[in-house]
Amino acid sequence: MLAFIRGQLISIAFVVFVLGLIFHFIQFFRLTRKKEWAYPPLEIKSQKKTPGQWVTSCLASLNGTLWKTYPVVTVMTSVFHVFLIGVPLFLLGHNMLLSQSWGLSFWSLRESVTDVLTVVVIVCAAFFLGRRLFLARVRAITTAYDYLVLLIAVAPFLTGYFAYHQWFDYRTVMTIHILSGVVMLITIPFTKLGHMLFFFLYRFLIGTEYSFARGARAW
Amino acid sequence: MENTMSHQELKPVDTKQIQGMLSRKKGKMKRFLSYCAHCSLCAESCFLYMEHHKDPQYMPSYKAINSLGKLYRKNGKVDRKLLTEMKGIVWRNCVLCGRCYCPIGIHIPSMIAFARSILRSQDVYPQLDEVSSESWL
Repeated sequence: MLAFIRGQLISIAFVVFVLGLIFHFIQFFRLTRKKEWAYPPLEIKSQKKTPGQWVTSCLASLNGTLWKTYPVVTVMTSVFHVFLIGVPLFLLGHNMLLSQSWGLSFWSLRESVTDVLTVVVIVCAAFFLGRRLFLARVRAITTAYDYLVLLIAVAPFLTGYFAYHQWFDYRTVMTIHILSGVVMLITIPFTKLGHMLFFFLYRFLIGTEYSFARGARAW
Repeated sequence: MENTMSHQELKPVDTKQIQGMLSRKKGKMKRFLSYCAHCSLCAESCFLYMEHHKDPQYMPSYKAINSLGKLYRKNGKVDRKLLTEMKGIVWRNCVLCGRCYCPIGIHIPSMIAFARSILRSQDVYPQLDEVSSESWL
């Protein structure tokens, strides 16, 4: 059983994850069309700014953005999402397994660094849980499904931390760690965790007022 | 006025028509609904939310989830009472100014506008001369 979990099940999870994302990627292009027109780029010739003016204009550009309205949440969510993807990819243990299995691996961070970053992810998740529990506006739209999604996202980090520090029974914790990773990979394309892909498609490819890019497509 | 009101209240809900409308935009709207992280970061971009002492009912996400979201969850099988409740959400609690901001990129105004279309198809819409304890405009 353990051999299956550590072997084929991980491969199945990766296949489902990749195929699921490809399916949604194709669906996105089927549901959207090429944008027929775009606003011409603004040609504003600004005068050379002093460092003080530059700092002032940078701060002014934050007005009305999440960095200004919710600075703490914005920092926490940015850190959480970057490390949620980055830590597993650049974890030494994972890369050693990748190298053994498929003969390829990413560059690895030092274990002491990934250990701290794992704690950072767990702290961020605890912060989100706190928001769901104690903030009226978040509670108003929270369902049991939201707690489940948060658990799916953070479980691999919690169990990975326990396994690294050899808390509880190592083999059991490691099995739960692998299973939680498998569950996360499989559920990403089919749950709201799919915003990992759709964030980039919506914010960069769909041309709207809040796009990060000019946007080549429209609904 | 009384005739219009009673017509609105007595007309049976055409579930098939609602289901047909929901189905036409299913791809886009269900994606919007299912990728909403329920983070509430859209809240303060809504001036009505700010104006109503940060009442969660005025959050853009709350409005979308409790109108269009409910229609999809119930697969269009709704009664007139529920549609009338949604009327307040999509017309009174939202003016479709388009200022709501979603960090994921979900276009909330299009969801509210679509919910309005569905409600209008069932003759559920505010009457400017209707007797109401609350002002619509």
